[in-house]
Amino acid sequence: MVEILGVPAPALFGQLLLGLINGAFYAMLSLGLAVIFGLLNIINFTHGAQYMMGAFTAWMLLNWFGIGYWWSLLLAPLFVGLTGIAIERLLLKRLAGLDHLYGLLLTFGLALVIQGLYRNEFGSTGLPYAIPAELRGGQNLGFMFLPNYRAWVVVVSLAVCLATWLVIEKTRLGSYLRAATENPTLVQAMGIDVPKMVTLTYGFGVALAAFAGVLAAPIYQVSPLMGADLIIVVFAVVVIGGMGSILGSIVTGFGLGVIEGLTKVFWPQASATVIFVIMAIVLLLRPAGLFGRAS
Amino acid sequence: MRRSWLFAAAALAGTLLTLPAAADFTGGKVRIGVLNDQSSLYADITGQGSVVAARMAVEDWGGKVKGVPIEVVFADHQNKPDVGSNIARQWYDTEGVDAIVDVPTSSVALAINEITREKNKVFLVSGAATSDLTGPKCSPNTVHWTYDTWALANGTGSAIVQTGGDSWFFLTADYAFGHALERDTEAVVLKSGGKVLGKVRHPLNTPDFSSYLLQAQASRAKIIGLANAGGDTINSIKQAAEFGIVAGGQNLAGLLVFITDVHGLGLQTAQGLILTESFYWDLNDSTRAWSKRFAERMNGRMPTMVHAGVYAAVLHYLKALDALGSDADGRAVVAKMKEMPTDDPLFGKGEIRVDGRKLHPMYLFEVKKPAESKGPWDYYKLKATIPADKAFRPLAEGNCPLVK
Amino acid sequence: MVAAPVLEVSDLHAWYGESHVLHGMEFVVREGEVVTLLGRNGAGKTTTIKAIMGVVPKRRGSIRIRGSETIALPPHRIARLGIAWCPEERGIFASLNVLENLLLPPVVAPGGLSRAQIFALFPNLAERLSSQGTKLSGGEQQMLAIARILRTGARILLLDEPTEGLAPVIVQQIGRTIRKLKEEGFTILLVEQNFRFAARIADRHYIVEHGRVVDEIASAEVGPAQERLVTYLAV
Repeated sequence: MVEILGVPAPALFGQLLLGLINGAFYAMLSLGLAVIFGLLNIINFTHGAQYMMGAFTAWMLLNWFGIGYWWSLLLAPLFVGLTGIAIERLLLKRLAGLDHLYGLLLTFGLALVIQGLYRNEFGSTGLPYAIPAELRGGQNLGFMFLPNYRAWVVVVSLAVCLATWLVIEKTRLGSYLRAATENPTLVQAMGIDVPKMVTLTYGFGVALAAFAGVLAAPIYQVSPLMGADLIIVVFAVVVIGGMGSILGSIVTGFGLGVIEGLTKVFWPQASATVIFVIMAIVLLLRPAGLFGRAS
Repeated sequence: MRRSWLFAAAALAGTLLTLPAAADFTGGKVRIGVLNDQSSLYADITGQGSVVAARMAVEDWGGKVKGVPIEVVFADHQNKPDVGSNIARQWYDTEGVDAIVDVPTSSVALAINEITREKNKVFLVSGAATSDLTGPKCSPNTVHWTYDTWALANGTGSAIVQTGGDSWFFLTADYAFGHALERDTEAVVLKSGGKVLGKVRHPLNTPDFSSYLLQAQASRAKIIGLANAGGDTINSIKQAAEFGIVAGGQNLAGLLVFITDVHGLGLQTAQGLILTESFYWDLNDSTRAWSKRFAERMNGRMPTMVHAGVYAAVLHYLKALDALGSDADGRAVVAKMKEMPTDDPLFGKGEIRVDGRKLHPMYLFEVKKPAESKGPWDYYKLKATIPADKAFRPLAEGNCPLVK
Repeated sequence: MVAAPVLEVSDLHAWYGESHVLHGMEFVVREGEVVTLLGRNGAGKTTTIKAIMGVVPKRRGSIRIRGSETIALPPHRIARLGIAWCPEERGIFASLNVLENLLLPPVVAPGGLSRAQIFALFPNLAERLSSQGTKLSGGEQQMLAIARILRTGARILLLDEPTEGLAPVIVQQIGRTIRKLKEEGFTILLVEQNFRFAARIADRHYIVEHGRVVDEIASAEVGPAQERLVTYLAV
């Protein structure tokens, strides 16, 4: 059997694929963070909690209302996105124009409050959420057993990332968004309702987090803390990719998922830290991030 | 003028009268500090449940020892040894805490173990698992109540090897507890004639185990031993099902699985799992009665063995204080606890060994199939009872300096 | 015969934080006129334009556009009344290409220039549609900034120093463009430092000092008023 650095090649392919799957979550979450940071200039630390809310909304829809996975994919982001809109209107709006630090503190505090409320209600162990019947089972790829659900996660998150990227880079709406990121005042003076766009953008970024949460529900335990650890990693992904860069966050998300996956093979103990080591190196060599524009 | 002098004299006399008793109880009260994970992955296993259990013990005892009030305080150590150590020092030095209880996360417990010895207070361990607490790190100020890694390894490990699971691959949480559990289980596996094909150490609180599971799968070991706990165990088991590990003929051994974990997994996923615990709410009439009271205060959630251990340890601690009439000398209190036989509604009759290990039976359970369960929290079938003298590591093998 | 006023500013005050910049601006621009605001640096000309668009932090007084009061409206509602702004720094977006920059402002009224008309007016732009906006030369950027507001159908244009820092030949081209727009009936409020440029194309001039209008000179009187002007504008 062919071996690479002491690991059989087929096993390595398997690990690469798994890294890609985890990267899908990083990509989707960091994409939302990047979109929000671009337009609102706010580092949304509530993102992890909103991802968790997505998963919990799916759980509540199923267990309290009998609404299954497929509808949850639509309804949970919608619902969580609406709560995001309320947060933007009631709280974040008041911070417009202030230093990053205020937004960071507010959203971080909000995340703690939301997690605390869910922990009070549901406990910290979390709750099970079954894989939908249509996606159970898996394929034997020869080098690994690939659960159907994981394949679905990769495909659907790639599609969502690609669609978001296309909308932002290639449509009229996207050009409003990019322009408002640069100079919101001028864009508003052209007749575009920038405050509303900001609110909707935040709602969209939050909905994206909730969507990732629904996707994650059947894989991970639906638990109040599921987003708390992830958000730190995702934040690192955004920094490595370049704050606010859409393409950067997608490519970096998938890329770091793969790197982390490989670390789990060669040096498992370091897998929780490898991303931060990369972040430190990138910040030293390219402070604006891999895809960021130096300002 | 004359009257106020009289009042003052009477007040002074009153103080003097109560002084002898109060002098033996530092600060004029007994203060018990529950130190555990209040907010993260072990918060359901320990957390507020342990605080409730300690308060129940105080109430059941009557609220006072020799007329001195008993208080329960609690704090969150966030599973970080530095955070836990700071709280413990502050409690002991400035806040008059006499005993620290629970302390899950072995690395934190080992730190508290040393601080308690240094300050000559009392440490009642329920949440932490490492058998080092009664081994090389044993202390005259510490009692290890509920379970330890040796007992888990002995219960689950030998039961599985005996039924044919003789080749193992370990998925180990990369900190003191995981290492201890892996070491103790490996010893049991080797001693019973099995072999260990490999191991992988993952960081605490890992969301995705698929990569490790794939390595375990590639090892072709019959048994994948999960030397982790809480959310890590749950995600390992869940994702093992997803990746068809069990369907592919390999079996999982959850070396430390609590009833709250089974509740979180759901019977559909958890069924058939073999596990070792020292307590289950549905063991007998007195465990059922106590658990019912506990659940009423905990939003319907049933106690874990850690909660039961906190209750029983606090109760025995208060008994020793009552017999001793003082809480000032931690070493003397623990010596008294060891001298007195234990008897409580949850663990029955037992004793505390010279190395600090509390002895009671351990139980080997199997998780029920969904069809066998009569309702929420009806999860376990009793497979075997391991008697107290077989359940824990023999005194001579622990390398505890207190054993001469 | 006097045309109807399309922009009436009265007792306009504006602030940046604590600093009170406009102290009761008063002036009127009528349909089809080209009017300039002249004055030294820091007199409040640019702030006046920004106050009309509603993008200063705080303003008070009255600004009526075609008769409707706009002092309480947010910027995007003001723009929808058919008024467009070409800022001093031009405001070309680096993350948009030339075509995207051109198409960015939404159409607010019918009657805007078609793409063909715009390219006829600014032939340079047609060749560089896919370039990044900020890769254009200064003159091209200025043309792009004017071109994109012509598309929107707005008939009142606020041009803030369109000739600043540009080569004479480009300045001439912009002068021709403004005259052409005037012929087409656009109403233009122009902020200029370059008085000789302004004098050739404007109908009237308002002199701004310390945040208020201190004098008004019609182009016809510029000759006789030369001395006054020199006093106002001399540094």
